[in-house]
Amino acid sequence: MIRLLGAPFAALGRGSTTLAEGVGRWGMLTGQTIQALRHVDVWLRLLLPQMARVGVDSVPIALFIAMFTGIVLALQASYTFTGAIPLYFVGVLVGKTMMLELGPVLTGLALSGRVGANIAAELGTMRVTEQIDALETLAYPPVAYLVVPRVLAAIIMFPVVTALAIGMGIFAGWATSIQLLDMTSAEFINGLTLFFVPFDVTFAMIKATSFGFMVASIGCFFGFTTEGGAEGVGHSTTRAVVVSSMVILVLDAFWAVTLL
Amino acid sequence: MKRSNEAMVGVVILAALILVTFGTLWLQGVTLRADEREVTAAFNRVGLIKAGNAVKLRGVRIGRIREIQVAPQGDLVEVTMRIQEDISLPDDAVAIVSPESLFGDWQIEIASRDHFPEHRYANPREPDHLPGYSIPDISQLTATADRISADIEVLTERVGIAFSEETARNIASLIENVENVTQRLSDLISQQADAFSGVTEEIQVIAEEVGYAATGARQSFERINQTLAREEFSQALSDMTEVTASLRQITREMEGTPEDIRGMAVKADSTFARINSIMAGLEAGEGTLGRLLEDPTMAQEMEGTLQELQLLLSDIRENPRRYLRLSIF
Amino acid sequence: MAIQIRDLYKSFGEKEVLRGFSVEAREGETLVILGGSGSGKSVTLKHVVGLLTPDSGDVVVDGQVVSELTSNELFKLRRRVGYVFQFAALFDSLSVAENVGMGLRRHSDMSQDEIRDRVTECLEVVDLEGFEERFPAELSGGQKKRAGIARAIATRPQYLLYDEPTTGLDPVTRAMIDQLILRMSEELGVTGIVITHDIDSAFRVADRFAMLHEGRCRFVGSPEEIRSTEDPVVRGFIEGRPELMEKAQ
Ligand SMILES: Nc1ncnc2c1ncn2[C@@H]1O[C@H](COP(=O)(O)OP(=O)(O)O)[C@@H](O)[C@H]1O
Ligand SMILES: [Mg+2]
Repeated sequence: MIRLLGAPFAALGRGSTTLAEGVGRWGMLTGQTIQALRHVDVWLRLLLPQMARVGVDSVPIALFIAMFTGIVLALQASYTFTGAIPLYFVGVLVGKTMMLELGPVLTGLALSGRVGANIAAELGTMRVTEQIDALETLAYPPVAYLVVPRVLAAIIMFPVVTALAIGMGIFAGWATSIQLLDMTSAEFINGLTLFFVPFDVTFAMIKATSFGFMVASIGCFFGFTTEGGAEGVGHSTTRAVVVSSMVILVLDAFWAVTLL
Repeated sequence: MKRSNEAMVGVVILAALILVTFGTLWLQGVTLRADEREVTAAFNRVGLIKAGNAVKLRGVRIGRIREIQVAPQGDLVEVTMRIQEDISLPDDAVAIVSPESLFGDWQIEIASRDHFPEHRYANPREPDHLPGYSIPDISQLTATADRISADIEVLTERVGIAFSEETARNIASLIENVENVTQRLSDLISQQADAFSGVTEEIQVIAEEVGYAATGARQSFERINQTLAREEFSQALSDMTEVTASLRQITREMEGTPEDIRGMAVKADSTFARINSIMAGLEAGEGTLGRLLEDPTMAQEMEGTLQELQLLLSDIRENPRRYLRLSIF
Repeated sequence: MAIQIRDLYKSFGEKEVLRGFSVEAREGETLVILGGSGSGKSVTLKHVVGLLTPDSGDVVVDGQVVSELTSNELFKLRRRVGYVFQFAALFDSLSVAENVGMGLRRHSDMSQDEIRDRVTECLEVVDLEGFEERFPAELSGGQKKRAGIARAIATRPQYLLYDEPTTGLDPVTRAMIDQLILRMSEELGVTGIVITHDIDSAFRVADRFAMLHEGRCRFVGSPEEIRSTEDPVVRGFIEGRPELMEKAQ
């Protein structure tokens, strides 16, 4: 009976120790990543290709998402505002929402699926097929070779992709407003500029940078710690996406609390 | 394929950099053209304007606010604006801070002093600075106060004309009721001040002023009571006229568009119209004061009217949103 | 210039894989380690290059205790050790030539041309000339394994560790790889450890044999000694007679 009652607590205990252990090991990998920055000769060559993969290849999906977000924001804003609130507030809403929230977060989530999963699967495969061991035997520091370029590329390219996505979202909102809603360009732009402060952009870029770091380092972490063949790789990939998505949302709230 | 993708890295980064840089500048309203000039205006206070807000002349946007600074002496706020080079301002130009709409966006309207002579403009330190005045934000509340005080004034006048010792007690009770109403209005305003901290400062000031006026009114009413027997009543009445006039003066400064509170205003209007007509009846010779006392319907009507006014005010207090919806937003 | 494995213990969780394994590969010799699958042969080999750290015991290479080296010293040691992985472990994202040249680019001052020549040379040795631009996914299992060998020998290491180099290959390729192992040892004086199940191949390349059984060294000796041993476990293993091994239990 006591054992029966104890079981959930034991499970909870195990769950939280695994979580704490995971966070600890992730922290260690992050520490190693920072140390590995000194092997410039190893990672520098690899940075550009990773930037192409993280950044350039992700631009279409990010723009696609941002475009539809912008359209929907404009339509829903006009639906909500009808009557009581002047329509140029559509511009306020589209601009503020794209910059402060949806641009960074949706891009982050999309890229956590794309980039995070990709990194976890690639490094996980390398782990289970002993490619990471092989790197070590060839005297390459694996963290410098694999983790550093990916994390740096994500830190650099997430803000870049996010900026483009925000631009696209606002553009789509504008196009929707003047095509489908009874608004003029000037009205929309008036709304857009009304409450704009440059900090909005800084805020978006801070968010995107932190999301980039998290998505890449979590992907690397799960890739590096993969065990158990193809199945293990699948497992790591899923967990990388789930965990980094959750972390993005938590970080999002964190920044909102600390910076706004 | 691989190589061209890597070349794209540069293109993508460049595109994002350009977007961010020029987008930010554009949204801030910074134009890269140089054909602009700076104008500075001095204010006692500037309400809710911030850098980037519109500067208008005759309702047309001609520039934006660049910088808001308190003068080193601490007595003025100096606002620098950038406006189009080729537009010349009126000789007696003044700058008026006003809401651009009811949604929190503010502006500076540049106008000729002749058009708005009633404002108390700040005195700029520099000769080439424009005198500025900032319209407070709670026009909805003050418009009502304005109307009520105006009507009290009318009422007092009429009472003064109609005065006779015999009816004094009745009128004293009427004045008590008005005092009540004033107190309630003042309570209402301080409640509003608590509820909407965003405009607390503005409201606080007005609430205090109204409260002060109410206190003044009460004092004079008390004096009416005390002096009824001593025939100093007419002196008390002129005191009250003074007080209500000052109340009116305060509220006039807080003018604005009371449109959204029209319902209330209309109700208040009709209430006072009825008071008025009663008083007019008193004034007309046939309706002597004795008749007012003898005629129960007249007295009842007057009482009912006052009750109505009180009902209205307590309704405002309980459902302020019905009347103040837009100021809340 | 020798590899000494001394009283090595290693467990993964509950599972004790090595329980006091000791063996030595002397300078210039080729030591063949036999053992059933899952007996811990690959685990042993990974200790030699510090991919795993022992629970207790030491691996001494060149007089240095591997588990006590700093990461820089370890990298230096690894430059002198070539490791042939059981499943080749080629880098999927790199071409064969890039794979083979990996070690050279990292720690030699060879020019691009010299590296290219060395890569071509090594690919010729394993009979893969013309495969430079292929990617690992486009190679057969045997070709991958040979590319893995080419990568291990490209830096001209003093030590070569082969993890089942001939398993799963056709007889011709097997013979070719055996010859390659012999050449390395004879021409370059490489000290080698070969892990294999392939008894024919083992006898072709071995200077000495060791057998890993239940986490310990069951047998060490020359090819003659292993042929004449009375130990039923060893006999059962090399003659492919499980009944002998069972009897010994
Ligand atoms: N990283 C590891 N984690 C857990 N168990 C391992 C690990 N590496 C090897 N093992 C276990 O150790 C045992 C020996 O493995 P290995 O040395 O690969 O066998 P073999 O002798 O066939 O090469 C196996 O049972 C394997 O499951
Ligand atoms: Mg093995």
